[in-house]
Amino acid sequence: MTQDSVKPFTLTLGHLYPEQLNLYGDRGNIMTLRRRCQQRGIALRVVGLGIGDALAPDEYDMLFIGGGQDKEQAPVAQDLYEMKGIGLWAAIEDDMPVLAVCGGYQLLSHYYRPAEGPDMRGLGVIDAWTIHKGSHVARCIGNVAITWNGMTLVGFENHGGRTYLGSAKPLGKVLKGYGNNAEDHTEGAIYRNTFGTYLHGSLLPKNPHFADYLISLAIQRKYGQELLDTTDSDMGESNGTVHSQISNSVAVASTQTDETLEILAPLDDTLEWEAHASMLERLGLYSAANAVLRRSKD
Amino acid sequence: MRKQSTPRSDTSRSGDHALAQQTRTRRLSGSGRQRFRRRRGNALRAGLAVVAGRTAGALSRRLHLGGGTSIAGIVAQQMYPGIISHLATQLAHGSVIVTGTNGKTTTSGFIASIMRNEGMTVWHNKEGSNLMRGVASSLVIHSMPNGRLRRASSAISILEIDEATLPNIVQAITPRVVVFTNLFRDQLDRYGEVESVAAYWRRAINTLPDSSTLVLNADDPTTATIGENFGGKVLYFGVDDLSLNLPEQNTENKRHQVMDTRTCPRCGHDYVYDARFYSHMGHYHCPNCGLKRPQPDVRVVQMHTDSFDQQSIKIIMGSGPASEEHELTVPLPGLYNVYNAMAAITAAHALDVSWEPIVQGIQNSKPVFGRGESLETNGKFIRLLLAKNPTGFNEVMRTLFYDGDNKHVLFVLNDNIADGQDISWIWDVDFEQAVGKTRTLITAGTRALDLALRFKYAGVEQDKIIVVPPAPLKAENVEARARGRALNRVRRKREAAAQTHEPDGGQALSYGLKQALDLALDQTPAGETLFVIPTYTALLEIHRDLEQRGVAPHYWEGKDA
Repeated sequence: MTQDSVKPFTLTLGHLYPEQLNLYGDRGNIMTLRRRCQQRGIALRVVGLGIGDALAPDEYDMLFIGGGQDKEQAPVAQDLYEMKGIGLWAAIEDDMPVLAVCGGYQLLSHYYRPAEGPDMRGLGVIDAWTIHKGSHVARCIGNVAITWNGMTLVGFENHGGRTYLGSAKPLGKVLKGYGNNAEDHTEGAIYRNTFGTYLHGSLLPKNPHFADYLISLAIQRKYGQELLDTTDSDMGESNGTVHSQISNSVAVASTQTDETLEILAPLDDTLEWEAHASMLERLGLYSAANAVLRRSKD
Repeated sequence: MRKQSTPRSDTSRSGDHALAQQTRTRRLSGSGRQRFRRRRGNALRAGLAVVAGRTAGALSRRLHLGGGTSIAGIVAQQMYPGIISHLATQLAHGSVIVTGTNGKTTTSGFIASIMRNEGMTVWHNKEGSNLMRGVASSLVIHSMPNGRLRRASSAISILEIDEATLPNIVQAITPRVVVFTNLFRDQLDRYGEVESVAAYWRRAINTLPDSSTLVLNADDPTTATIGENFGGKVLYFGVDDLSLNLPEQNTENKRHQVMDTRTCPRCGHDYVYDARFYSHMGHYHCPNCGLKRPQPDVRVVQMHTDSFDQQSIKIIMGSGPASEEHELTVPLPGLYNVYNAMAAITAAHALDVSWEPIVQGIQNSKPVFGRGESLETNGKFIRLLLAKNPTGFNEVMRTLFYDGDNKHVLFVLNDNIADGQDISWIWDVDFEQAVGKTRTLITAGTRALDLALRFKYAGVEQDKIIVVPPAPLKAENVEARARGRALNRVRRKREAAAQTHEPDGGQALSYGLKQALDLALDQTPAGETLFVIPTYTALLEIHRDLEQRGVAPHYWEGKDA
């Protein structure tokens, strides 16, 4: 089997509201996904989904939604509910990897209750809700580190609302910083393959393991099933027209074994891990920093 | 003055409070003699405040605690909270306030230069002291122990004011002119979003009397609309040279443009741009409610870049038969400085200054502290180009890489409180502009690693980036690190050898800003220019270092200290 056989992988990333929700360097997340795919020969196509665009779940393999100004969040909330709600819900239930940062995270939970005025309705796919306790309660602003999957994630948070989890699992435990609500040490939320978090900074550049995790989820979801099948004829019906378009390009890939899917080829992430460790050290988390550097060496 | 029994920590405050109480009681009694005594009392307090403030400032400077730029104000305000209005009302020519995200310092420098040419004495608050205490300082250090401002009969004060301080300052000072340069996203963790700053401004404008004049940027949609309900005179400036329109980029890049205002404040519909010059600056209109860019009173109809810091512009002032056309040269780099010059010209126009002092004032003004400042050391040139936010960075880089020459650049990214602790915005800056256009690329500052990572993702090869973090990682395994940076070190050694100039500790990795600067200067051959692009606190650090090397003047020298 040659290296070339990996090339035909193609992924489509739906970037929700790139013009409205782009306040906190969300571009860094997209750039990271793009570059890390590119270096492994995976073609990543990024499609912007603005206000008024419908979301057809079978056209995408991953979704990203960022945070924005309050002023811009209200029309977005309405559009999300009316135009994209069902598609997004279907995608999430179908295990599509979705990363929702800050405002996007709030929009995927039940509601956002501002200090004044009516509640802003969210999509409710993540069982969590957000309450802004008024201007006398300080915003949660600062560098933040959390545990994730036996490792750490670092970022920056800046949110006025406090998020409380219902049945949703937290993304991680806060090591330093505020997290969801500055009370229960939880940060973010997970529902199926949907990840809500307050971490920006941007999140993915300095957390390459999390970026790769999202990419591998998308690859597995798209190609895993197909590659197990010896023929792909029965898949055509369920995936409709999109599938036939892809099936030509993955014809070679379908000879792949399952193992290569599990692990994406490692990249030189020295700089990424140094930046990650340096933030952990600034937050006083020396042993975590040590662990990161040790692991990055392997 | 009798002190009330209050917690010790608050004694000076309670003292003021007691005095205020006393004054109020006197006012109630209402006799003319007592009023006179109160005024004399205020003069006495002002005198004391001036003496105390100036002493503190002199001490701080003598003890090398800094430029003493705000300590004088802090002390004076403690002595007499009303010191700012007390001194400002003595100004024969009143005050001009300059605020906005970018260009405050340069614009107020231009205005000061114009007013000096007009024959006025200019009292100007210094760099970095654009909060209340800085304003207090600038007035106190120019006052006499009798509580009188020096040369008040010919004086005007040009005050550069922090965006969020504006509502407070207009309580203390009634300005003749308020200039709003622009409004961009800046330090989200400190100022909040663009909208909340605009709200501060509207609140400040609501308290202004109709006798004040607003000078607004017509091309910036948010700035242009903040004067909507103002009863007084409003003057706009803008660019009408359509050849400066940005080329339409592919949709994806367009989407990633840093545009901090996209929607109409009246109806929320997206603006449509007929021309866009940078970020959200341009000719915009709302197709839904018809809100559009106001017709500017001062407009640039033609701009030509003669050299890096030489922009020739043709300007039209006023409209109809009364309009005047003029030409002048702006001695600073970039379109953003042309906007700054226009803001200053419009302010001068509002103060009825004639053209001659305006053109002299602009053309003879020198770059202010770190804003295009040029220095020389050992036959090498250093250019300091402050950049503090996405739009600032984009414009500085656009200006820097305008010609095809590859440059030596040192980027310094700090995340101290005055810089903003959130550096997410670096991912919105088009560092892609720098790819393949640098001969030396060094990143330094507290977030040197993040910036290096940004360059990596922009497409700069990793071994072309020299990273100089402030300190080594504690947890670091030396071997792992050495391997990670080996390429850089090899390259550095090779180049050092080629120049037969072994840098200090050539074997060791470099840490700290001093070393970053040394390294950058080593990489810059004689006769060439090192461009230093620092964030705000990084600029202060770099400047202090250059002062110690005797390369730069002390920052309270050569200004109006």
